[in-house]
Amino acid sequence: MPLNYLARRLLNSALLLFGASVLTFLLVDLAPGEFFDEMRVNPRISTSTIASLRSEYGLNLPMPVRYWRWLRSVAKGDGGFSFAYDSPAAPILWRRAQNTLLLTVPATLLAWLIAIPFGVWSAAKSARWPDALAAITISTLLAIPELILALLLLVFAVRTRLFPAGGAVSLDFSGMPLWSKSEDLARHLFLPVLCLAAGLLPLLLSHVRASMKEVLGSPFIGAAAAHGISQRRLLFRHALPAAANPLISLFGFSLGILLSSSLIVEGVFGWPGLGQLLIESILQRDFYLAVDAVVLAAGFLICGNLLADVLLYWADPRIRAT
Amino acid sequence: MEDGWQLAGQNCWSAAVLEALHVSKSYTQGRWYSRKKFSIAALNDVSLKIDTCSTLALIGESGAGKSTLGRCLSGLETPDSGEVRFEGRNLFTLPPKDVRAIRRKIQFVFQDAAAALNPRFSACDAIEEPLLIQNMLPRKERRRRTLETMEQVGLSIQSAPRSILEFSGGQRQRLAIARALVLKPRLLVLDEGLSSLDFDTQARLTHLLLDLRVRFELSYLFITHDLRLAARMADHIAVMQRGAIVECGKADALFAKPQHPYTQSLLQATPG
Amino acid sequence: MALPRQSKYALAVLVLSHGMVLFAGFFSPYDPAVQNRELPFAPPVRIHFFDSQNRLHIRPFVYRLVASAASYAHYEEDRSRLYPLRFFVAGGRLLGVDNPAKIFLIGTDAYGRDQFSRFLYGGRISLLAGLCATAVSLGLGIILGAVAGFYGRWLDELIMRTAEIFLVLPSLYLLFAVRAVLPLHIAPSGVFLLLMAVIGAVGWARPARLIRGVILSAKERDFVLAARGFGASDLYLLRRHILPQASSVVLSQAAVLIPAYILAEVILSFFGLGVAEPSASWGNLLASLRQYNVLESYWWMLLPALALIPVFLAYNTVLSYYKCYSAGPARQTEFDKVL
Repeated sequence: MPLNYLARRLLNSALLLFGASVLTFLLVDLAPGEFFDEMRVNPRISTSTIASLRSEYGLNLPMPVRYWRWLRSVAKGDGGFSFAYDSPAAPILWRRAQNTLLLTVPATLLAWLIAIPFGVWSAAKSARWPDALAAITISTLLAIPELILALLLLVFAVRTRLFPAGGAVSLDFSGMPLWSKSEDLARHLFLPVLCLAAGLLPLLLSHVRASMKEVLGSPFIGAAAAHGISQRRLLFRHALPAAANPLISLFGFSLGILLSSSLIVEGVFGWPGLGQLLIESILQRDFYLAVDAVVLAAGFLICGNLLADVLLYWADPRIRAT
Repeated sequence: MEDGWQLAGQNCWSAAVLEALHVSKSYTQGRWYSRKKFSIAALNDVSLKIDTCSTLALIGESGAGKSTLGRCLSGLETPDSGEVRFEGRNLFTLPPKDVRAIRRKIQFVFQDAAAALNPRFSACDAIEEPLLIQNMLPRKERRRRTLETMEQVGLSIQSAPRSILEFSGGQRQRLAIARALVLKPRLLVLDEGLSSLDFDTQARLTHLLLDLRVRFELSYLFITHDLRLAARMADHIAVMQRGAIVECGKADALFAKPQHPYTQSLLQATPG
Repeated sequence: MALPRQSKYALAVLVLSHGMVLFAGFFSPYDPAVQNRELPFAPPVRIHFFDSQNRLHIRPFVYRLVASAASYAHYEEDRSRLYPLRFFVAGGRLLGVDNPAKIFLIGTDAYGRDQFSRFLYGGRISLLAGLCATAVSLGLGIILGAVAGFYGRWLDELIMRTAEIFLVLPSLYLLFAVRAVLPLHIAPSGVFLLLMAVIGAVGWARPARLIRGVILSAKERDFVLAARGFGASDLYLLRRHILPQASSVVLSQAAVLIPAYILAEVILSFFGLGVAEPSASWGNLLASLRQYNVLESYWWMLLPALALIPVFLAYNTVLSYYKCYSAGPARQTEFDKVL
């Protein structure tokens, strides 16, 4: 029964998310130092002030109690409190998460849009130059760490002045008309999205290529070709759906890499996303914000995997049978 | 502490070396926390007896449960219910310190010798291993006994340091038998141990085993589907069908006058 | 062992780069901490064979750099005197020139420190960090994977579920969260290695899962059962029969993890959360690129970043070759086509 399967997967995902939140809370809690350390160093702020601030924010409570309070805060929609921003964490998170999505979704689409045709083509023309080109692309891109690729693109931006050197919007963004706004955003988006897509591409391409090659080697393709089906139809209507299974799982798997890569890209390009937020909050010892950022990222990963599971379930009749 | 074979003497033909009483075993499939499980009954209330200095052949078609029974009798697998008594003591309720000593006395030769030998080992290592595990004998002695056993089964000592992978199937079977013999057990269980060998090698090994049995206090449990081999080697025969023993008795009597219909059909199916 | 061409090159690159880093004291012309305040952001030295009168000198030489009084970090060559390149100079170094000329092979940073020397010495910390973290990761992974695979049942379930929780956090997010555990500024580099050990410890999940898989199938094999039949203890079985089966998985995981953890150090140090100044590491060499003026004007600061690419490419090549190789001789011919 489909509902049974989905329900199990949902329960599993919820438990995972819960476990991830506990783990993150524990890890960040182990960190020495807290937000008020800077204040402590300042001789003009008395220790009693700090003590009262701490008890106000509940920092002197034992960990399980703080976790429980955080959990309640999340349920309420606040997501804990950010000391640095002096506000509930949730609104800050959502804005940053939107920015990350703005970066990652186009990058993923771009990467898949290149990987699928290129992969299919290179598998079809196996042992000829398209395949070799694909192989070279994969190994080259794979060898360049994301950080260095981002730096290279940034240098390109700075030197050629074709693109802005980081940030999400220009300084006078708010005053621009709508058309200029979108153009400005697009110009700022271009390089980070390109960077992220290039980082993702070798993984996707190599799997599409491998999967397609395997399918093309199977007898039913040979039979279909003998029927005289056109090359394009053969590839896309017959071979690709058969090769789709591992690719859907790949989609789920690539999300983790995507989020990690976007952290680097956000850091280098100064893109105000979730990853950037995490780095800031760690530097500022903004405890709850850091926990929220990590748990939210884990949440995205879990949702993505769940989506991949659902897609797989829908696409592959063999799973439905179990 | 007994180490090695006792010369055949008065003890033979007196007591049973191994007795199985109402042994049952089933295999279940299913996660340890879920309730529904799927089970297959492999052994169903099996009882038999192996006498000292004698050979019992266990015959029957594949899937009858012969291997499972062999493993349970050797202590490799635990039955769900019933007892297995070796020299009068229940194998599965022994105090831990006695388990090791008993393990020395029952040896099992696997059906697939290639799988039963670690491919990364050399022939010498493989045969020596039981001695090593049992912590018997100083090193020189171990070596000596290993090579001696190798010679007994007809493998040249020169090939001792070679890796298992370099041996042929028949040779590996002989290695497995050598490994079983090196501890000088009282009971040797052969799970189709001789079936995959060529005629010559089979003849030589049956000769060796018979010889050993005559000279020392040694018993065999032969699990086989080869009736001719059973006829040649066995003093007693037990016939298994679908997890239960359907007929059991002295070899000559059974072959001359089989009682159970299944036994009769088995014998009819065999030429000569 | 017949190796295809690519993996020979790859191995050569790895041996060369690791060798140079290992013997940094020999290969680098200067001490990495020495500052030349009068030569900030000096470009890479120009090596000449022809002097100003177009005469050929067999031994290459350099000119001294003089800071131009007009602007910051602008230099001119003082052509009045030649400084020939010296090899095997005093102090046990391979290359050098007489003072006051300097041989900055890839230029200097804001404090006038030779980038090439800092790259070689920094490589030590980065490589050591990678090795340290990998060792801890694999060590934990082997222990937990073996326990989970061998003892099974609830222990297996517990360990694997915990692994799943660790794996659901994106790796870099987890990295930064773990980084938060230690104080913000870490010196000396000894403590940094402790940090890398912690990072490695947190990365136990993936190796553990893989090793558990191998153990699960290995423990069912007949020769394990046979050894049990001889009375072998669990520890003996694991040591002699089961764990050796995992050796190829462990090796290929090492080839994946070492570059990954080196990269982790680079990323952490880049964002200022790794090795602290004045120690050099590959990461904090790149950190200067976070400043706009550096990106704009001083192209040689990018060279350490570019130099890392062949190293990672080499690791990747060796890894894919090892995967094909351990899969059997039939796959080895595929390797040439794969790359």
